[in-house]
Amino acid sequence: MTDRNDKLEQLMKQSLNGDQRAYAVLLQETSRLLRPLLSRRLNFSNEVDDLLQDILLSIHKARHTYDGNRPYKPWAYAIARFRLQDYLRAHYSDQLRHAIDFDELEESLPENVTETGFSYESISAEVNKLPEQQVNILQLMHQQGYTAREVAEKMGMNESAVKVAAHRAYKILRRKLER
Amino acid sequence: MANIDELVAKLAQEASAVQAAPHPFMLIIQWLGAAAIYLTVSLAVFGLRPDLAERFHHPWFAAEIATLLGLFIATSVSAVLLAFPDLHQKRALALASAWMLVLFLLILFFARRSDTPPAPLPVHDIECTLSITMMALLPAMWIFYSMRKYASTHYRLAGGVALLSAFSVGALWLRLHEQTDSIAHVVEWHYLPMIAIGLIGLWLGKVVLKW
Repeated sequence: MTDRNDKLEQLMKQSLNGDQRAYAVLLQETSRLLRPLLSRRLNFSNEVDDLLQDILLSIHKARHTYDGNRPYKPWAYAIARFRLQDYLRAHYSDQLRHAIDFDELEESLPENVTETGFSYESISAEVNKLPEQQVNILQLMHQQGYTAREVAEKMGMNESAVKVAAHRAYKILRRKLER
Repeated sequence: MANIDELVAKLAQEASAVQAAPHPFMLIIQWLGAAAIYLTVSLAVFGLRPDLAERFHHPWFAAEIATLLGLFIATSVSAVLLAFPDLHQKRALALASAWMLVLFLLILFFARRSDTPPAPLPVHDIECTLSITMMALLPAMWIFYSMRKYASTHYRLAGGVALLSAFSVGALWLRLHEQTDSIAHVVEWHYLPMIAIGLIGLWLGKVVLKW
């Protein structure tokens, strides 16, 4: 393990001296290191890829702040966490921007609010068509009454990942049921 | 995955030799040296308070100046370390300015309590805040300019600490220049605005130091 870490530091030192091959290997190693961290926090592989690209660009931009005399991994992880937080912050604020205002919703509600046009069975059928993880999350949260934190503990996930997965499931359901 | 490989190849192709940033301790020495010169020149131009030697015999005044100086040094150290993504892996040192701020506030609290009967209030008030602000502008611009060269991952905190550092230079200058014995005045018009401006730095950090 130490050898591998030493290797990363060595690669970064060589990269700072302009060794392009060492730099390519370092970036590949870094993306291998960071992918599991991002996959735990994000659900879709395209999101992981997008964020990973963003992190690699940030590492490239900030590489002058690393001198090769301290461990490489904490430096790279600090940048990765920073970009991940930025990504999640933007993601949640985007959700808030697109959230439907209750006042607007009230205006568009049909007069007979008890007739929704879809039944419990139709919702249930649509829920079951979702990916397994999302189905489990929705069942735990809405049938068994667990909080997002409890679901996260139960499923060995991160709390924000549970919330993101639940939100995505709601979005899919809304789209399907509105059709 | 193919995109990642393409990006890696592109970045590697672009990569040329890069001059690594100086060690933070070198940056701290530079910053403290520059601030010391600035403070000395300002005091030479505007003059020291005439009773300064005598005031240093008052323990609370001496403690106040010592902790204000400590706050300036600690915030400078923090600002430099916070400019690095991983705080140069010296997290405890980077957060030491919080303890110094607590100590400084404690000293002010006890100095205020021991000020009996209270020293007379000076006739001016906001002029002090404005003077500190004017005196802190140049250090503030310099420290933000320096920090922008690096890559802070705690840009809000870095901004707050940087402004606190710059304003502590101004506050130190005024305390050594102005002949005021009222601790109530000093707290209200020197130090509270200084701390409030440090809070504005949280916002400024986001604007200036985000990358």
